[in-house]
Order: sequence, then structure tokens, then C-alpha cells
Amino acid sequence: METQPLILVFFALCGAGILLSLGTPASRQGNVMALLGCLATTALIVAGAYGLLADDTFSQPLWSLPGLATLTLKVDRLSAVFLMVTGLVLFSASLFAAGELNRDSGRSNGCAFNVLMFGLYSSIVLVFIAGDAVLFLLAWEVMSILCWLLVLWGRDLENDRVGAGYLLLAMGEAGTLAAALGFLVLGVNAGSLDFSGIKSSAVGLGTGVRWTVFLLSFFGFGVKAGLVPVNFWLPGAYTVAPRAFVPVLAGATLNLGLYGILRVNADLLPATQIGPGLVALVIGTISALLGILYATTDNDLKTMLAHSSIENVGIIVAGFGAGMVFVATSHPALAAIAFVAALYHLINHSLYKTLLFFGVGAVETQTGTRDMDKLGGLIKWMPLTAAAFLAGTLAIAALPPFNGFVSEWLTLQTMLRSSELSSTGAKITFALCGAGLALTAALAVTCFAKVFAMSFLGMRRLDKDQIVTEAKSSTLAPMAILASLCFAFGVLPTYVIPALGSALNPLAGESAADALVPPFFASNPAHNMLPPTFVDDFHNLGAQVGQNILPGRGLVVMHRGGVENPVVFAMSTSYMLIALIVLLLLTWIIIRLWLTRSRKLARCERWDGGVRNLLPEMTYTATGFSNPVRVIFDAVFRPTTVEDTRETVAEHFRAAIRREKERIHPVDKLVLHPIKSAALWFAGLLAKMHHGRFNAYAAYALITLLIVLVVFLLFQSP
Amino acid sequence: MSQWVINGLRTGIKTTAYPRDVEGAAGVTPGLPCSGKFDAASGKELVDCCPTQVFTQLNGTVSADTRRCIHCYRCVRGIEHPVGWEQTYEWATVRAPSNSPNDFIPAFKQSIHICVVDAGDCGACLNEVKQLNNPYYNMHRLGFFITPSPRHADVLLVVGPVTDHMRVALKKTYDAMPTPKRVVAVGACALTGGVFAESFVCAKGVADVLPVDVEVPGNPPPPLAILHGLLLAVGRKPPASLAPASSEIKTNAMKL
Amino acid sequence: MNRTELKEQIKQRWPDVRCDVDTASSMCEVKCSRAVLPELCGRLFLEWNFSFASLIVEEGASEWQLRYCFYGEQEAGWVHVLATAQLAEKTFPSIVKFVHAADWHEREAEDLFGLHFEGHPRLGDFILHDDAWQESVEPMRHHFDPHAAMLHRKPDADWRPHRVVQEAGAFVMPVGPKFSGVTESVHFLLETVGEDVIRSTPRLFYKWRAIEKLAEGKTPDEVLLIAERFAATTAFAHGLAFCQAVEKICDVKIPTRAQILRIFVAELERLRQHAGAIQEICESTALVVATSQAGIFEEDLLRISGELTGHRYLFGLLALGGLRCDLPNDACRHALKKSQDALKQLNELEKRLRVSSSFLDRLEEVGIVTHPNAMAYGLLGPIARASGLVRDLRKAQPYLGYEDIEFDVPSEQEGDGYARLRILFAETKQSVRIMEQAFAALQNGSVREPLQLRAGAALGWVEAPRGGTFHWVRLDQSGRIARYRVVTPSFANWHGFHLAVEKFAFQDFPIMLSTFDLSVAENDR
Repeated sequence: METQPLILVFFALCGAGILLSLGTPASRQGNVMALLGCLATTALIVAGAYGLLADDTFSQPLWSLPGLATLTLKVDRLSAVFLMVTGLVLFSASLFAAGELNRDSGRSNGCAFNVLMFGLYSSIVLVFIAGDAVLFLLAWEVMSILCWLLVLWGRDLENDRVGAGYLLLAMGEAGTLAAALGFLVLGVNAGSLDFSGIKSSAVGLGTGVRWTVFLLSFFGFGVKAGLVPVNFWLPGAYTVAPRAFVPVLAGATLNLGLYGILRVNADLLPATQIGPGLVALVIGTISALLGILYATTDNDLKTMLAHSSIENVGIIVAGFGAGMVFVATSHPALAAIAFVAALYHLINHSLYKTLLFFGVGAVETQTGTRDMDKLGGLIKWMPLTAAAFLAGTLAIAALPPFNGFVSEWLTLQTMLRSSELSSTGAKITFALCGAGLALTAALAVTCFAKVFAMSFLGMRRLDKDQIVTEAKSSTLAPMAILASLCFAFGVLPTYVIPALGSALNPLAGESAADALVPPFFASNPAHNMLPPTFVDDFHNLGAQVGQNILPGRGLVVMHRGGVENPVVFAMSTSYMLIALIVLLLLTWIIIRLWLTRSRKLARCERWDGGVRNLLPEMTYTATGFSNPVRVIFDAVFRPTTVEDTRETVAEHFRAAIRREKERIHPVDKLVLHPIKSAALWFAGLLAKMHHGRFNAYAAYALITLLIVLVVFLLFQSP
Repeated sequence: MSQWVINGLRTGIKTTAYPRDVEGAAGVTPGLPCSGKFDAASGKELVDCCPTQVFTQLNGTVSADTRRCIHCYRCVRGIEHPVGWEQTYEWATVRAPSNSPNDFIPAFKQSIHICVVDAGDCGACLNEVKQLNNPYYNMHRLGFFITPSPRHADVLLVVGPVTDHMRVALKKTYDAMPTPKRVVAVGACALTGGVFAESFVCAKGVADVLPVDVEVPGNPPPPLAILHGLLLAVGRKPPASLAPASSEIKTNAMKL
Repeated sequence: MNRTELKEQIKQRWPDVRCDVDTASSMCEVKCSRAVLPELCGRLFLEWNFSFASLIVEEGASEWQLRYCFYGEQEAGWVHVLATAQLAEKTFPSIVKFVHAADWHEREAEDLFGLHFEGHPRLGDFILHDDAWQESVEPMRHHFDPHAAMLHRKPDADWRPHRVVQEAGAFVMPVGPKFSGVTESVHFLLETVGEDVIRSTPRLFYKWRAIEKLAEGKTPDEVLLIAERFAATTAFAHGLAFCQAVEKICDVKIPTRAQILRIFVAELERLRQHAGAIQEICESTALVVATSQAGIFEEDLLRISGELTGHRYLFGLLALGGLRCDLPNDACRHALKKSQDALKQLNELEKRLRVSSSFLDRLEEVGIVTHPNAMAYGLLGPIARASGLVRDLRKAQPYLGYEDIEFDVPSEQEGDGYARLRILFAETKQSVRIMEQAFAALQNGSVREPLQLRAGAALGWVEAPRGGTFHWVRLDQSGRIARYRVVTPSFANWHGFHLAVEKFAFQDFPIMLSTFDLSVAENDR
């Protein structure tokens, strides 16, 4: 099996999926999605695996469009990574969506969903394997429109759903326009719209062109990715998108924007100045901070996850920015580390965000609400969902031994490497952004501790009559798959990093595997390149445990410095896991089996101060938990007081104290509202032309004709 | 802030010598009636004048059940043949509780944490418990600490007759304490209901609700008596026999 | 205004109202109809500067008798407004719109007697907690059967706390009834959105022992024991109020020596109780050395009390008609000398506290009760004086001969925790001053006058350390208690406690609680 045929199989299966859906009855639509979706995405995963691990890349020209470019398919290792990740996400999403369709088969239009989804799968993959700008933009446009249609899919179309959909479409088109302009500028200056052609002529491009292309592509693709200041469509769209689709929105389509940024600014047009990299770094940090602040103080599960996606994208883009700076200042090893960190975080985010959205979907299906203030105690009725959700929460909060820890840790370590830079301005920016990202990580822990605790732990706040049961296997199975993947990616970073490094080698200039994973295992041929004293030191620390049985380079992620500073940073989640298991086991043995062996464990009621009945309204709400954050960051939120009244009866009895505050997102305030008012003002101006007088319109037509004639005459110079 | 340090140092040590030695200061204890020999008439007068039936007369001896005494002093003031009075304070007794064996727990000997529950107390017993940590008594030196949470407590100290509204809270506090645990009932109300025994919302003492290990009579028992009760609960003082110990200050009649 | 002016004013506005002035007991009894009740009480309270003491509900043979007691400065005396209704009709108009201080009195009457006060917005769930008792228990009614009531308990399973704050994400944080280290049992419901507390509602009466019911049918000697022991930290003051009520009914004049000794011991109790309150305030702010010092002074004063009277809390000294036993002059001199020493130490403590900025930071501008609020809620005692509401029963309606003793009643204006602390210190100085004058006026003589019990009713009042306390006693023909109504200063002050604690940080709560010097046992009875 090779990559190219497998990708063709994928497209074929997607096509089959579309045709089958058109023919099957509504009750079977879910099964169609499950069967063909899983088959197609399995083919995709294997294709990506071959492309990445076996270096089975290819470049296949298709048709040639005169005057534009030859439509090419090109799969290199970078695309292969994205194909694999997308395949994993879409595999689980197919199972989940199948379950949703089957449950809702009487009411919803499963055929439309399947057709749109398979179309979306194909367009996403087409974006990743496009080898030239035209195919890329065509696939991108199709993907954009399909996204919009899927957001609007479903029975009840409330006003805010339509509005959010329009905003998504409008911003999507604006982003596409900007990206297309960027490609155009690049193409004009490089002489061709072909990616390989652009790459070869990239060296000769001037600073102005580079900045133009960077800004256009960064903010153009940034719309899809969700960067400040162009991400104000994201929370609204994620909140209103149907349950079956939003995991794909967060797990797969977000990556397209990041792929675009990476492809244009690191692959096609490698950085030669630190400016663009610093811009990316700063924008990433700001997005991360704003995202997590809003996530922490939001009570709706879906909106909170949307803001959290913005936060994660910010971290990824910050990593990209750092990488670009290191590339520009010729620190290839550090650039490799930065890109690996960012790409690792991208993969991790796809996995755990999809998992969390599955969990939220399950909760919403079972309880009918997404408001954390109304949930609570669900672990008793949904233990398996809670367990998988917990894995996702631990992963996103960057706690070992899950995957979020590895990528977050690597990103922060990269920020610390700014000491190698020579420019003071860059160093200061790195320091500030590093601090901002550390703050983000801390707030993320708060946010997700709140999410899990308020939804699953504590007392149940739902109505007594509401019956809550465990989620179905169609939801639990994909959650379990993703949870185990989160765990695997967390415990085996030393296997993931060389794979990613091989994909990023052409971008950074050096192998990340060499920079980050020293070959401690004796079975690895590169082992004898390590200095023997170094090996001995780490042998005593146990870095070579398992060297005879395990494949690979080693289990320790380590960055080596020079002679004075042999180890800059090091960690091993694999050994951490073993140590954790050993310690827990030891603790349990010592305490339960020895020290307290003669004692009986008694379970009794929680201590509540002796009240007769502890009621749900006497427990902490999600608002209460996150209130300190709200108060500390008041300057960012700037809430306006809508109501603050004190009602009194009979002169002195306080009957009610009503308080309500309203928040407007700063991006909305600073970007969206000015654009809206400007657009409305401009439209108002234009409206003055629409006064309905036929003669005026005739005059307009005449004047336009005259201008065109004049222009034609002028340009028809000999 | 140094003024506080100097002030504290200049105050010196005020702590009582108890339990190492006898505390002889005036006003540390209200004392309790003691049994004695009385003829039939004066005996009957004593028995009748006591509002809480402390005295019983048998064969020329009037015996005093000090658990019931509410310190009204009607048996010594304004009466022709007053009863004998002892200015002691080691009054606590061990009561065999219904469910836990009364052997002493080695772990409690050094230090215990006490959880105090006010089950309807008038304020005097609680105030005496509060005095336990003023410099005169300083129960910390004996290893007794007050903890707000029953989960960390070894000894439950209850004051007050258990009012109806506090039953649930008291029971919950007791249940929340991990074993081994001891219950010390302090004050006449906690032992017998005191003057509130006939109220329809009061139980007749803590023993109606919980198994009690140590009882400290008095209304209120002075801090020294409460200390004695705690020392008894942890096994640092032997359970008293019926006759009072010889090392206590005794007077046969109150000077008033 | 004096009594005659009052009578004229009343006659002017409501000609049908009957107004009897009794110069002997300085009481003016006003019998009015239920319709006129709110306006009349309102005018007394708001316009003519009377303070509201108590609402006394008595179930007669055929009718209800509601007695609203008001008192003013010296000349104005007492005004008792009486309203009656047949036993079958249980509806009365509420006076809370004008006299907010009557709020809890009406709620208590509703819970204990089943009366309904129209216009009161929050009746119910007061003494008889709704989640422990069924409706219509009415324990104070003559026909109440305790066995039946306890046997058929039907608590409300759907009881919810009363919520005032309406904000997204607001919740009610429960504190108690068992909380902190050594505290009385009371349940707080703190409404918050997570950062600070917006509203606090104390849920009291966990320590309700129904002493008013317990006293019915007992002899005054037996009830004296209850009066001393229901709120024993101010046992002497409550016992004294009860004795004064019974002595008034029996029209007995107690000997001078007994009067002076009663003043002496009452002031000693005030001194000791204030030392205890100061110790609580220092403890709540965690100023450890000051706490220990104040603890030493409180224990010293307890020992002085024990040495002088035989009991640290002054039990067993009072008797109907005087004192149960005499206190020798030497003992009194000794007690006075030691009290003066204790006062000297308290003054030093005060000087040191006034310059401890970290301590003052936690008290100043914390828990402010404004003067209008203090007036509307009818607060009593040192905390009312800290808000500028000065009405001390020893000066306004003197008893025991306080009119012959020179002393000042301190007052402050800020109404915050620091003002209350200053009042406590100032009152200790005045107490010792009174004790000195009392000792100087001590003469030999008997200390007890025998009394003949007879039927009648009277109100006894005493300025207890925490504020004015009022005991209403009605004796029947056989000389046994027919009705015993106790209104304590803590009952009024707990009512106003939530004023001080609206919108504060959680950490300030214990401090505000300690500066109010509230007693749950006094309130719950």
C-alpha cells in the first residue's frame, strides 16, 4: 500500500458515501456515516502514516489551467501529519455523528448531513494535499461554504443561529479573500502559482513583498484558525453549531487555518527577519490570554470550549512565531524545537478538544442543558462519560501524564530559549509572551477544574424529575479512543517527536529528533555519537531503562546545550508515569495493607456544619468559583452594570436585591463594532444613490460607459 | 508592635499549677454540696428545699447527687441547718457508656483535639470552656486543642440540655467524628437537663441522644473541673472513687 | 413630653381611645381598637420619641390581650398600648411599617400563638423552624399538648432558604449551626456570588428552650432560677429584672442595703461581661497578646465575683424581696479594690489598642450601623450608643436608686466596630465609678424583706450589660406565674445584625459578630 492509492481510496469512499446517503432511508443514515466514514478515515490515517513514517511522498500534477497554473496534488511529510491527525479526529467524529443521526433520525435530515459531511471531508483533505495555490483556494472555498451549510443544518433555525452562520460565512470569505490576495502577490512576484515554483523563487523576494504576504496570509488564515482580532465569529458559531458537527469544526477545520499559516510562512516563504515571527508571537499570546479569560468566566459549556480553542490556537501560533524568529536568526535547532512544540500542541488540541466536545454533546443530550450553574453530580449517573471527560480535562489543563503537558511544557521551554537571541527587543518580547503563556496555563487549570467539578462533581442541581442515563456506546466509543490517544501521546513523546521532526526538518533546517531526543537506547545506531561520560551520568539516573526491549531512541526528552551547560532542559513523561504508578501502589500497600489493616473503613455523610438538609443552592456555583478571576481582570472585561436595584417592602424589609452586569468582548468592541458602523455608514452613503429615479440610473450607465471607453483608449497605446 | 511583646513578657506567668498541684486561689470554683449526717427534720428540710432533687435521705444520712446541683445555694443560704460545702473542683466522673469500652486509648494520652458543641447552653458553661485557653488555665500545655471540624476531633464536648432543634446537628457532629472518640458532657443541663428538664423542647441531658463517657457536674463547672474531666477522658487522671480525694481544699460550711 | 401632654395629644387625635395614667408605676395605659393601633404606635415611636420595649401577648379566658410597651425619657414614662380581640379572631394589624422594631415580636407571636398580623411581609419560619415543625403548633396556647405535638411531627420537606439576592450564579453559603471553635449554635445563610457576601440572614432559635412556657404554673421562686439561668452570662441582670417585676406586683420595698448591694453586684457583672466582650473582639482580630491580656482580666473578674458571692456568674444571690444572704463590708471593699485594679489594667490595654494600627484597621469602618437604622430597628445597649442612640434605662427609667448615683452614659457617632469597642471601654470606667459610689453609700441593715404573693402583673426592667432587658410577669390568684414574657437586648440586636454585615468580605464576618457582643442564649430563650 502506498500513500497515493490510499488517498484515492479515501476520495472514492467519500464519493460512495455521498451516493449511498442519497439512496438510503432516514433511519439508516447514521449507519452509512458510521460505515463509510470510518472506512474512509481509516484509509486516510494509513495514508498519512505511510506518508510520514515511510516518507512515501508524491507530487501529482492534474489538469493544467491556461493562464493560471497546473493543478497539482502534493503530499509531503507535513501534509501527511495533518492527514493523520484529521483522520483520527474524523474517525471518532464519524462514529459520534452516526450516533447523533440514529438518535434523531425521525426529526433531522440525515441525508443532507451525510452529503455535506463527506463533501467536507473531501475538501479538507484536498486543502492539505493541494500542491498549488489555485487548487488550494478552490478546496478552501468549498470547505468554507460546506462549513457554513453544516452550521445551519438542523431543524430549528433560531435567529442567532442564522446570524452566527452569516458572520461565519462573511468572515470566512473575508479571510479567503485576504489569503487569495496573499497568494496572488506571492505568485506575481515569484512567477508561478505552483508551490514548488514559489519555493524555488522565494529567496529572491524583497522585504516589502514578504511583509505583505505575511500579513495577508496570517490574518487571512487567522480567521479560520481563530486569532485575535479576526476571531469574533468563533464563539458564536461554535455555540450554535449542531452537536454532531461542532467536534469537526473544532478538531479539523481549525487546523486548516494553522496549516495555511504554516505552509505559507514557514515552508513557501521561510522567514528572513524577526519581525513577522514576533508579530505572530504577540498575536498568539494575546489570543491565548483573551481566550482563556473568557473561557474561565463563561458558564455555557460550548462557548467556554470555543474560547478555549482560541486559547490553544494562540499557543500554537505563538510557537510558530517563535520558530519563525529562530529560523530568521539562524538557530535551526531551536527553530526545530519550536515548530515541534507547536505542531505537537496542534495534534493534542485536536484530540482533546474533540473529546471534550463529545462529552459536552453527551451531557447536553442527557440533561438538556449546557449551563454549568444548573448541572452537577453527573458522575453518579454518567460515570464512563465522566471518566473520559476527565481524561480530556486533564489533558487540556496540561497535567502529566497526558499529552497537553508535553506540548505546553515544550512551548514554554522554547520561550525561555530567547536568551540565545541577540536582539534585545526580541528578548523582551519573548519574555513577556512567555509570562503571558504561563499565566494562560495557570488560568486553564482553573477553568477546567471548574468545568469538571461543576458539571460532574458536587450536588445535583437539575430538576428532580429529570432522568439522566449514561451516554450510548456511539458516544462512549469515540471518547474512549480519543482519551487513550491523549494518554498515548502524553506518555510516548519520544516516539512522536522524531516523527514530527522529520516533517518539520525542511522548515527548520535541523532534525528535531537530534535536538530533543538523545538516543539513550543502545539499540539505536546513533547511540555511539553521544559522549560516554554523558551517557554514564544518565545511565545512573535510569535514562536507559528498557533499552533492550523498547525500540526507538530513548524515553527522555532532553535539549542539550554546549559544554558549560550540558542539559538545558529535560523531562520524561514515560518515566513519570512509571514513577507515579509505583508510588501510588506503594502508598496503597503501605497504608491500606499494612498500617491500617486492622481498621474498618466507614463511609458516612459529608460534614456540613450540622444543617438539617444540605440543599443544592447551598453549594458553590460556577459563577462563584470563577468570580475572583472576574474581579481581578475587571479591567479587561469592563462589565457595564445593567441593573443594581434594592427593593424594599413596608419601609424596612429588603425584598430583593437585583444585580445584573453585561460584558462585551474587547475584540467585538474594538474591531467588530467599528467595522459594522463603518460598513453601515458606507452603505448609507451608497444608499443615497438609490433614489429610484430612472433618469439618474440611465445617467450612471452612460457615465460608466464613457469612463470605460476612455480607459480602453488610454491603455491601448502603441 | 514591640509594646505587645514587652507587655506580654512583663505580665509574667499566670498559669495555674493544676494538675501538678492544687489550685488554691479564691473564686476558682463555686463548690458543691457534700453528703452529711442530719436528723429527720432537718434532713427533710434539705430534701424539700432543693429544686432539682439533689438530696436523698436514708437512715439519718443525706446524700447529695451532685450531678443534679444547679448552684441555687438554697441548701446553704437562708436555711437553719445548711448542708456541708466543699470548695473542690475535681468533680468529673466516668460513666460507662453503652457502646464503647471504657479502656483508655493510648493515642489520646499525649494530646487530643476537642470539638465543642453548644446544644442549647445558657452561655455560662460555654464561657467557662472559653476560659480554658486564657493564660490562667492554658489547656494547650496539657495537649488539649479545640478544633472546629469534627472530622479532626477525638473528644466531643457537649454543653447544654439538648434542645429539639439541635438534636440533628449534635447527632451529625458525633457521627462525623472518626473512631475512637469520647463524649464529655459538661454542666448540669448536659447531665440531667438542669432547670430546663421539664421543657417540652429539651431532652434530659446529652445521654438521651449520645453515649456519654465523662460527666462534669456543676452549673457551670469551673474551668478546673472541665480540665479534670478532660484529663479523666484521656486517662491522665484516675476515675475518682466515691469519697473526694484528700488533696482537695475542703470547708465544712460556706462562709456566707 | 410628659404624661399629661401625651394624654392630651392622644385624646386630640383619637377621641375614642381610653388613656389611664398611673402615677405610682409611671405608666400610662392606652386602650385602643385594632384599627387605630398602627398609627398610634407609629406616632409614639416616630414622632414622640418613645422606644419600643416589647409586645406581650396574653391569652385570657375569653380574649386576646396584646400589650405594646413603649418607654421614653424620665418624664414621659411608660406607655402601654392595649389591643384586645376575641379568642376566635386572630388577626391584628401589623405595626412594622412604622415601628420596625416590632418585626420579630410579631413573628414570635405568630409562631407561638398563631396570631396573624396583616401587613407583615415575612411571617413564619421564625422560632418553629419550618423544616422541623408542621404548621399551627402554637405552643404558647393554653390548650397546647406537648406530647401530641412531638408525636405528630411533619416538617416541610420542601423548605428552601429565603433568598433576597437575584443575580445569576448567586448561591447561599450555610455557616453553622456548628461552626468555628467555641461558639454558640446559630445558623447563618450568607448570600453571595463568590467574592463578597451581599446579604446575611441569621437563622436563630436553635437553642430555644421555651422558658416562657416552662415558667407557666410555677412559683416565682422556681422561676427566679430559670430567669437567672437562661442567659447566664448576664444572670444577675435578668434575675434582677424578674425580681423587680414580682416585687412590683407584691408592692414590697426592698431594704436600702439590699438595693445598694444589688447595684454593686450588677455593675460588677457589667464590668466582667464587658471585659469578656473586649476579649472576644481581640480574639476575632487574632491580636494574640491582647486576647491573652483581656482573658486574664476576665478571669480575674470572674474570680472576684466568685470570691464575693460564692459563684463566678453570681447565681444564687438574688431572692424575691432582696438578697438571699448578706455580703460583708470587708468582702465588698476587697472586691472593689480588685475591680479598681482590673480597671487600671483595662485602661492600659485600651491605650495600647488605640495605637495598634493593624488592629484598628480591622475594626474601623467595618460593620457600620447608621443612626437612622439603629433607631428604626430599636437597637439597645452599647452598640446602639455607638451609633448615637443613647437611651440607658438607668437614666431614662431609673430603678434601684440609680437616680442618686452620678455617672455618664458614653456615646459615639460612627457606628463602626471601633466605636463599639470604645463604648465598651468607657462603660467599664463608669461601672467602677458606680461601684465606688455604691460602696460609699453602704449602710448596715437587713437585706431581705419578706413578701406576700398576690395576683397582678408588672414589668421589670434592667439595663443589662448588653442593653435593656424587660421581664413581664403576671401572677394568678394562687401566686403562681400565669404569664412570663422576656425580652432581651440580644433579641433586638440580632434583629439589626444584618445591617452591619451587608456587602462585606468573608474575613470580616467573625470580627463584626464579635463587636456586636450578641448572645444567642439570650435571644433564643
